[in-house]
Amino acid sequence: MAALLEISAARREFVTPEGGRLAALDGVDLTVGANEFVTLLGPSGCGKTTLLRAISGFEVLDNGTMRLDGMDLTALPPFRRPVNTVFQSYALFGHMTVARNVGYALEVAGVGKASRDAQVAEALEKVGLAGMGGRRPGQLSGGQRQRVALARAIIAKPRLLLLDEPLSALDRNLRQQMQLELKTLQHSLGIAFIFVTHDQEEALTMSDRIVVMRAGRIEQIGSPRDIYRHPKNRFVAEFIGETNLFPVTVDHVAGNIALGRTADGVELQLPATGRSVGEQVTAILRPADFTLGTAGIPGQVTREVYLGSDLYIFVQPKAGGPEIRVIARDGAGAAEGAAVHLAHDPTSVHVLEAA
Amino acid sequence: MRNPVGWAALTAFSLAFFAFIYAPLFVIIGYSFNSNPVNMMIWEHFTFDWYAGLLGLADRTTDVSNRAAYVESTGQMLAALRTSLTVAVITTTISTVLGTATAIALARYRFRLRGVYNGFLMLPMMMPDIVLGIGLLIFFVTIGMNLSMLTIIIGHCTFLASYVFIIVQARIAGIDPALEEASADLGASEWVTLRKVLLPQLAPGILGGALLAFVISMDDLVITYFVSGTGDTTLPVFIFGMIRRGVKPEINAIATLIILASVVIAALGLWLRSRKTD
Repeated sequence: MAALLEISAARREFVTPEGGRLAALDGVDLTVGANEFVTLLGPSGCGKTTLLRAISGFEVLDNGTMRLDGMDLTALPPFRRPVNTVFQSYALFGHMTVARNVGYALEVAGVGKASRDAQVAEALEKVGLAGMGGRRPGQLSGGQRQRVALARAIIAKPRLLLLDEPLSALDRNLRQQMQLELKTLQHSLGIAFIFVTHDQEEALTMSDRIVVMRAGRIEQIGSPRDIYRHPKNRFVAEFIGETNLFPVTVDHVAGNIALGRTADGVELQLPATGRSVGEQVTAILRPADFTLGTAGIPGQVTREVYLGSDLYIFVQPKAGGPEIRVIARDGAGAAEGAAVHLAHDPTSVHVLEAA
Repeated sequence: MRNPVGWAALTAFSLAFFAFIYAPLFVIIGYSFNSNPVNMMIWEHFTFDWYAGLLGLADRTTDVSNRAAYVESTGQMLAALRTSLTVAVITTTISTVLGTATAIALARYRFRLRGVYNGFLMLPMMMPDIVLGIGLLIFFVTIGMNLSMLTIIIGHCTFLASYVFIIVQARIAGIDPALEEASADLGASEWVTLRKVLLPQLAPGILGGALLAFVISMDDLVITYFVSGTGDTTLPVFIFGMIRRGVKPEINAIATLIILASVVIAALGLWLRSRKTD
């Protein structure tokens, strides 16, 4: 894949109110390919927004380089960078019509009115707002404003579009609809998207690759499946989706199955590859990795949460230790107080080398 | 349920409050139509004479001879009005530009002594007029500047820029900085962003500040009294001079016309504002 954006050793420090120094970006390396959908994911303060603002030019890097299509961006002011942004607050110009908002980049670039009008109509069409050009942003709903912001950002045909938590202000249904539309739009436009969010579900749904960040550093880069199934460490495992973590000691290895036991005595089967007896590792199992059966970890259901077709249950293992979170089919006999056995497929267990 | 006693008390209080504020104005408006030339407090009969006299329409020679002595000359008053308007237009322009530029600088840029500037900009508004007036007078005399219309304009600008600053600052505080970032992101230089995004967004505040500055400049007596020379007298200073030689009926007519002009300006301002926020 041809690299569109190359960031290497990006560093940005801020002075805290107490006078200390805090690295919002602490040596970030990232490459984004043309037409790739990359999501920056992490908790508040992890540096994802700073990284986005450094790409758009609103933050200046203390160190490191940034190249777009081989052109050095580092010293360019925001208005000279061929990237556009969809802002979290949408940042629509309230004193202009929707059409003038959308055509702003062309107006500023000196494009003639006739050509501008045609492109504005085309952009509004693309985001499903055809014929709304005469309205004011104040007369639109949240979802429509979001679309105007999107049309405004894509009209100049940037190679790279930056989206700063653009869906966070929308309600759940609209958000899910926009997630699919954004993905479709990205394909049809053929431009790269860098999308910032703290919503892991959103990241999993939309991305080609996810960049998980913490405290100014990249923890892991990978496809959604990669990140979900093979997290590199506890932080990534716990941040992406619901997770059960079991610190275990390998008890014995037989064939391609290893047996691990927690300090409380809960027994788990792990893939044997690379395991040795006495080794301490962390086993990761997602709630959906367990099935209710007659064999497996014995326990008792302490709480149930109804999710529709599925049932989310908390199981207290008989041996002791923290509750295990499990997703079961509704009607599988997992009512509160029921005694159950939790079985799992050893190959679905992901093992972290550190205990 | 409404408490009838409380409701009646509230109504009475409201009426008393408005009477307290507006009664003096209505007294002045009423007496401006009183024909009694000697004692304006005693109603004689209805007349437009004072307005006609002010506007130079009445033939004074046929009237009671002492009437002619009241308004020294219509020409003098019109000259004072012209001075007031000239001063107000120039000071409004200068202080609006200064106040707006300062508000933008303090809200959008980080620099040394920023907090100190903020404090100093409040000072001229809190300082008693008389102190500011004397201070300006001593300053002009010290640097050897003759009192003229220029000194009035400089004097007014010193405190009116602060008023504009306060009002524009309140407006800019409510504007999402992301708007300017969006403009830059879409390829606009700082200058284009200022022209196409920030100033239009600030327009209601700038307009409000300008109207306030204009009205205060037209109205100012104390500071102008100290810094105006013998040649250039503003309307408030001229009226103050007239009153010192006894209250004359023309004053009521002048005051009524000023009230009328103020209402028109205020209405204009409100109308422009309501248009902006549709």
